Amino acid sequence: MKILKHTNVVLIGVLTLVFVSSSFAKPLRTEAQVAEEQEMLMKTVAKGDALWHNPKLGTNGLACGNCHPDGSASNPHTFPKYQSNLGKVGTLREMINWCVAVVLQGSPLPSDSDEMIAMEAYSTFTHRGVVIAPAKDEQHGAVPVVSGAGYPSR
Amino acid sequence: MKKISRRDFLGITTKIGAATLFTGILAPTASSFLGLGGVAHAARRSTKPFTFAVLTDAHLYDIKGHRFDGILERAVKEVNKISPRPDFLLYGGDLGQSGKKDELVKGKKILSKLKMPYHIIPGEHDYYLDMGEAWRDLFGKENWSFNHNGVHFIGMNSIKVKDFWSLKGLTPKERMGLMEELECHKCGLWGVGEPSLDWLMKNVKNISPSTPVVIMTHSPLWDYYPRWNFQTYDAPEIRSILRKFDKVIAIHGHVHQVVYNEIGNINSAGLLSTSWPWPYPPVDLPYPLIKQRRADPGIFEDGLGAHSMSVDKSFAGMLNYREFADLLPENLKRGLKL
Repeated sequence: MKILKHTNVVLIGVLTLVFVSSSFAKPLRTEAQVAEEQEMLMKTVAKGDALWHNPKLGTNGLACGNCHPDGSASNPHTFPKYQSNLGKVGTLREMINWCVAVVLQGSPLPSDSDEMIAMEAYSTFTHRGVVIAPAKDEQHGAVPVVSGAGYPSR
Repeated sequence: MKKISRRDFLGITTKIGAATLFTGILAPTASSFLGLGGVAHAARRSTKPFTFAVLTDAHLYDIKGHRFDGILERAVKEVNKISPRPDFLLYGGDLGQSGKKDELVKGKKILSKLKMPYHIIPGEHDYYLDMGEAWRDLFGKENWSFNHNGVHFIGMNSIKVKDFWSLKGLTPKERMGLMEELECHKCGLWGVGEPSLDWLMKNVKNISPSTPVVIMTHSPLWDYYPRWNFQTYDAPEIRSILRKFDKVIAIHGHVHQVVYNEIGNINSAGLLSTSWPWPYPPVDLPYPLIKQRRADPGIFEDGLGAHSMSVDKSFAGMLNYREFADLLPENLKRGLKL
């Protein structure tokens, strides 16, 4: 009984604290602000999509999209991980640069460049909601997207 | 035993065989029942056994010393080494990447090293810069047929999209650029088109239903994954024209992967490219056991290969994926029975 009483006091205290502190919290974003932030993201994703399909990143005509249509099999959600071609645990950006340098025979992008962030945004956006699972022996699967609506800008 | 030969399509160990049969029973499409009677008839028709080779999707670039040139050259060498020598080779389209004549000329030069004749169809990458003009100059007809040892072979251009460029005022180069993207949303679905359906109807009109038929198209004759044009929009019409035959074997390029399906009297198989492998689309396959292994991005020739197909006297085909690196699971190493 005594313990219960004690618990109640603590609980009331905590609730009061939450109430008081929430009155000092940052106001919730308006719908317009959320939309604006989303628009910024989608612009970056669209820029990444354009780069993903641009052979000018390399010198042999290939683009990332040749092997990775819809960003498929780029598996951004599984990085950092051990990657045999990198010979170490690497990041998605390192993997993208490996593909640019080795497969596309181009110059690697600065890791923190707008271009690299856009490429990462495209790859990640196409994999939203995909569950992380260890790789199987079987050839990669692709990202499920509805035809013609990979994301709104296309 | 012969009666279930259609389901027992893998040349395989007993264990995998049982698993495959089980899959067939679990997912019995209407078609797999419809086909049974047909196979029994097909067995009556005698074919003189032979082997042919298949290559597809080289995606050659107009760049000197490009590594895809070397892969196609390797594939040609491998095909030339096959013993007994294949009677001919079928090429499944996308010899070039951007529709340039120079790409196709380079491809033709490499294919000229084949020690056997070849028959070729166009893919979208060969076509949309000049609407197939250079391709036709170099290779001739887009739809063709011939008979070999009692088998009727058909090749068709299956990559004709409806005009999406005129209204938008796109240049030929812009049109080609869009078609080069697998996930091009503006390009729309492709098919053989009505004139080709008429051609096919006339082509097979006087051929008896017991004649074995092999048809090659760039894209699959079933709805695999329309988003990537892994389809042919008028495939239902093609299948209905070919329905009278006891058995049809369909092979297709475009998908850059091992894939198998049965639709009615048609056994269909996808082919390996000599450029790059593609991931499996996010769809449930009726024959999920027949898949290639994951390609290693660090090994350029992983996931690529050549093919040979032997046809026996009862028109049972055995498609051998001759992969360049070790990508086939055990159940496919001895071939895919078609």
